[in-house]
Amino acid sequence: MGNCCSEVAGGREAGGGRAAAAGNDAVNHFLKSRGMYGSQMELSFSATNLRDRDVLSKSDPMLIGYTKGKDGTLAEAFRTEVVFNSLNPTWITKHTITFEFEAVQTLVFCAYDIDTQFHNIDVKMLKLEEQQFLGEASCVLSEVVTRPSRSLTLDLLYREDPTMSGNPRHCGQLIVHAEECISSKTLVEMVLRCSDLELKDLFSKSDPFLLISKIVEVGLPIPVCKTEVLKNDHSPAWKPVYLSIQQVGSKESPLMIECFNFNSSGKHDLLGKVKKSLAELEKLHSNGEGENLFLTTTVGHNHQNKVLKSQLFVDKFSQSSQRTFLDYLAGGCELNFMVAVDFTASNGNSRLPDSLHYLDPSGRLNAYQRTIIEVGEVLKFYDSEKRFPAWGFGARPIDGPVSHCFNLNGSNNHCEVDGIQGIMTAYTSALYNVSLAGPTLFGPVISNAALIASQSLANGGKKYFVLLIITDGVVTDLQETIDALVKASDLPLSILIVGVGGADFKEMEIFDADKGERLETSSGRIASRDIVQFIPFRDVQSGEISVFQALLAKLPSQFLSYMRSSNDIQPNI
Amino acid sequence: MDKVHKASRTLEITILSAENLSLNRKSIKKNVYVIARVDPTNFGSTTAGFEGGSNPSWNEKLALDMSFQTRFITLEVKCKTSSGDRVVGTASLPLSDILGDYTPESCLHFLSYRLRDSRGEKNGIINVSARVKVPVESMSPAVTENPVRSGCSSSWKQPALGVPVGHQKSYYGGGVARGVPIWS
Repeated sequence: MGNCCSEVAGGREAGGGRAAAAGNDAVNHFLKSRGMYGSQMELSFSATNLRDRDVLSKSDPMLIGYTKGKDGTLAEAFRTEVVFNSLNPTWITKHTITFEFEAVQTLVFCAYDIDTQFHNIDVKMLKLEEQQFLGEASCVLSEVVTRPSRSLTLDLLYREDPTMSGNPRHCGQLIVHAEECISSKTLVEMVLRCSDLELKDLFSKSDPFLLISKIVEVGLPIPVCKTEVLKNDHSPAWKPVYLSIQQVGSKESPLMIECFNFNSSGKHDLLGKVKKSLAELEKLHSNGEGENLFLTTTVGHNHQNKVLKSQLFVDKFSQSSQRTFLDYLAGGCELNFMVAVDFTASNGNSRLPDSLHYLDPSGRLNAYQRTIIEVGEVLKFYDSEKRFPAWGFGARPIDGPVSHCFNLNGSNNHCEVDGIQGIMTAYTSALYNVSLAGPTLFGPVISNAALIASQSLANGGKKYFVLLIITDGVVTDLQETIDALVKASDLPLSILIVGVGGADFKEMEIFDADKGERLETSSGRIASRDIVQFIPFRDVQSGEISVFQALLAKLPSQFLSYMRSSNDIQPNI
Repeated sequence: MDKVHKASRTLEITILSAENLSLNRKSIKKNVYVIARVDPTNFGSTTAGFEGGSNPSWNEKLALDMSFQTRFITLEVKCKTSSGDRVVGTASLPLSDILGDYTPESCLHFLSYRLRDSRGEKNGIINVSARVKVPVESMSPAVTENPVRSGCSSSWKQPALGVPVGHQKSYYGGGVARGVPIWS
């Protein structure tokens, strides 16, 4: 189903009414939680005080950009044009890159002075060994986008000795500026309506919903949006749907709009479809016209489109720019990383090799350490102070009762540590200072994180908090955890849960709205939004790092759902 | 009058929207409104919406005076029909959700509640924002009136970070202890 919500959620309950309600809740929740990530960024470049390598004139600089892989390899991403006779060039060439929040995107830049004899050669054909090297700089893309001005100034470094010995010389500065592409920020809102839908249910009208998919050259259309289900309605008018231009490619890209009759079994009946681009839908709206739905039928070996009496109308079509995740970052919002580590006895004695907390003398990281590193190394770039609350739970300190929320640093007064390394150090230190105990409770650490988030909110802070819980077992306080999560959903907080070891984490998926229903307390309060992501670590152990990225990828959308929840999506540039 | 004034507080509740409403298992077309009720004689009401169908939006702010003994607010979603006003669903909003253990006063909350019809069956969701306003003489000048998230009153006392505050209610019964280990 691509980016759409799960059909299972909609079809899980028995009975059409309940299933439709559950399906609609899932759709609404999914749409509210979906935000903007994977934005396109346009990088532009300039430099100052470059080395002057020419005798009779100034240097003729060109900039080459590389992306650095996890293994350290460099892949050339772009080359600028050559700027003649300048030590302070502003290059015209721009580089477009997809911002991936969930990854550390390292960029390396090398500046060269292009020899006069090569000035008439296409830059792509230039051999770098024939040019004069001016300097090198590197950064992470998130370092650029978190700057208020979205500009980062880097020192260009030059080493006389290619063997990397000696101190590098500072040979000017490189300025990297980032702007988010308009298509990433442009949102289309549509209110769609159908008339005279065909009857599919035996004794009642249909229960229709729309599925909008992006048509691709090869393969099945990719779903991008889905409406709620309307009960017993042959002339439905759905809630507004929102599409970004980036999602569909362009306003001229063809879309398939399919109208289905909802069935709780999950096998929905196709009532008809329309193939239109956003531009064509806008035209329908302007003209006040409808478009007849069609069905594809097979006659022998041929496919024919049967035009139906049913019609699709666009009652509203508006286009606006919206504030994106990157806009909030540029506006000074930060993400503050928090971590809570499971110290219950089910992990095993940390001195034994089969323990989940085993500290390998060779330096190989255990699952807890690896998770902290993988998540923390991404999130650290979004906090200027890099002071991170770090807790443990389920352990007994020396001569004390079991604590379900203790400071990893051993302090009575504060829970923060310095940087990711501070978390790692506090973690290993704690292992030697507490006894693993139990049971496994999430409620206290969630409430503590919520307390900090609430305090920040009360003080008018611009921080959004991300709590990482790493655990080896199923929680004992299921209902208390749900209640804590529902209460926290009104606060600037997201929670990532990673399950380590071989336990059955099926129950954990209840907390993750992507895999379950919206959380609801026994008193009927419903989570304002989805704030939990869960993955089992064993998926990572197979070597697929992208699982951690999947864990992190939803954070921008959760952040945005918090910012927008007061009025759903509110254009505010 | 002063005595009466100081013994009450004001709930500012904005009825934002509702989702997936139905009446007799059918989608609703129009004329849905909400009553927020403290008691049978103390309530506020939104206008009846003519758009939105089963997913109406109101964005209407109601102000309700209530005593310190008030424990919850009842939210009734109703629909005007040819046969009279019908109850679509009701929900209870506990004041503890607004004045919780670690929430500062005057903080604006965005809350959602399950609606249940007269048979007790699930019937959609209601979304509101709400806060309790303190008496005028105690209010900080910096308190914002804008319902968009802009922080809360600065009168919030600073709790100790990372350590449950002593006056907090116990998370769990049954003798499970909480605390911070003392490093030596």
